[in-house]
Amino acid sequence: MQELSAILEYKNVTVHPASSQMWGVSGVNFSLGRGEIALISLEEGRERIPLVPLAQGLVSPDSGRVFFHGADWAEMSASRQSVERGRMRRVYENYGWVTNLDVMENLCLAECHHTRRPFAEVEEEVRGLARRFGMESIPAARPTRVHGMVLRKLEWVRAFVGTPDLILLERPLFGAPKADAPKLIEAVCEASRRGVAVVWLSEDVRVMECRELGAVRRFRMDGEKFVAA
Amino acid sequence: MSFLASTGQGAIELYQRIRRLASISAAVVQLAAKPSSWTKPTRTVLARQIVFTGYDAIGFIAVVALLAGILVVVQAQVWMGRLGQSELLGPLLITVIVREVGPLLVSFIVIGRSATAMAAELAGMKVRNEVEVLDSQGLDLMVFLVMPRAISMALSVFGLAMCFVVISLGSGYLCGAFLGTGPGDPGIFARSVARGVSPHDFYNILAKTLIPGLLTGVIAANEGLSVEGIATDIPQAVTRTVVRATMAVLVVSVIVSVLTYI
Repeated sequence: MQELSAILEYKNVTVHPASSQMWGVSGVNFSLGRGEIALISLEEGRERIPLVPLAQGLVSPDSGRVFFHGADWAEMSASRQSVERGRMRRVYENYGWVTNLDVMENLCLAECHHTRRPFAEVEEEVRGLARRFGMESIPAARPTRVHGMVLRKLEWVRAFVGTPDLILLERPLFGAPKADAPKLIEAVCEASRRGVAVVWLSEDVRVMECRELGAVRRFRMDGEKFVAA
Repeated sequence: MSFLASTGQGAIELYQRIRRLASISAAVVQLAAKPSSWTKPTRTVLARQIVFTGYDAIGFIAVVALLAGILVVVQAQVWMGRLGQSELLGPLLITVIVREVGPLLVSFIVIGRSATAMAAELAGMKVRNEVEVLDSQGLDLMVFLVMPRAISMALSVFGLAMCFVVISLGSGYLCGAFLGTGPGDPGIFARSVARGVSPHDFYNILAKTLIPGLLTGVIAANEGLSVEGIATDIPQAVTRTVVRATMAVLVVSVIVSVLTYI
């Protein structure tokens, strides 16, 4: 029986590499409760692992099980899966934007879809978060017209919109200004204090050694093996 | 593979395709009937698709209707007059324009103009991994991508067919009057057309616009989302959309005509 208080739980999960772009993982075995942060150190050259898609039920493990709020992704209906994914936010390893929506629509999309909050209210929250990360305005354009560095910081904004239960950060500092890293760390700490669980994948040693994040659980990849750091 | 085996294989594939199309269409209708499906982002997609598929196409449809009206109505007026059967003008126009040419032409135009664009758009989203981005944010692809597009296509085809019928009948009358081949009095023309309308025509035009429109949207979405992450597959998805949607429109039109009038 999985821990009922766990927001996210991996049980003996193994995934074989599915494509040339994604490495496999084995022996993933941990759970994350409210307010807990898991830092996962990635090896250089093997940055792309399917831990986040597994957490979202987008990839099925070859063996083992993944639970979200005590429910196994493999046993959920498609509509239930969509609802549960609405309780998560994510910074994407790859390009994480829908190009036929403008940037603001992208930022508000999940929150407007899963809640009844008015668009104007969500927009106001987004602007507030953007200011927090040092951006005075949101580009009024489609994502393809916006610089990658700005888009990366806007992904940070999107990760904190609303009241998610789980935030998944896939190398969020990659392509972002180094000087802004403390702002993200501070936002993660604050979210954690509110009870949000956070999974942070990083190849950056400074993140792994960051003391500001407080009590966190640290893991690392040893080849395909997932081990405690 | 023997001729018999390949024929059987083809028949099985066709059956599976039709079954898949029918189940997606049924799911679309079911989702559209649920108020919870209509979140703000979904309503926005619907509105944008109606503007693109319906509103933006009105100009082109009007020109085609104008020309088709001149062709059909003038011919009908000339030949009915020569045969001394002018009182049959209304029924003939209803038969040709309202029951058959209007819905069919509009469906073909929508396939060429909008279904191709829709298939290419969705295939592009699949190739760029945007579908996974939506999925990972908990946006059900049927609710957010397929349903509003298919519904907007059905509504647009219906609306455009109405425009087509009115404009083509009007242009035909004006052209006939200008050439001196028509009834002259617009009242006579209107009454003649009105006499030709039966209650069946109402159901006929609803069935011949809403069902093909819905199927066209479902086929475009299905073909677009079937692309497996390679950009060179996009043109093939567009081609399949045109071929399959055209076939679906023709088959539905024949079935509806047979069921309505025989």
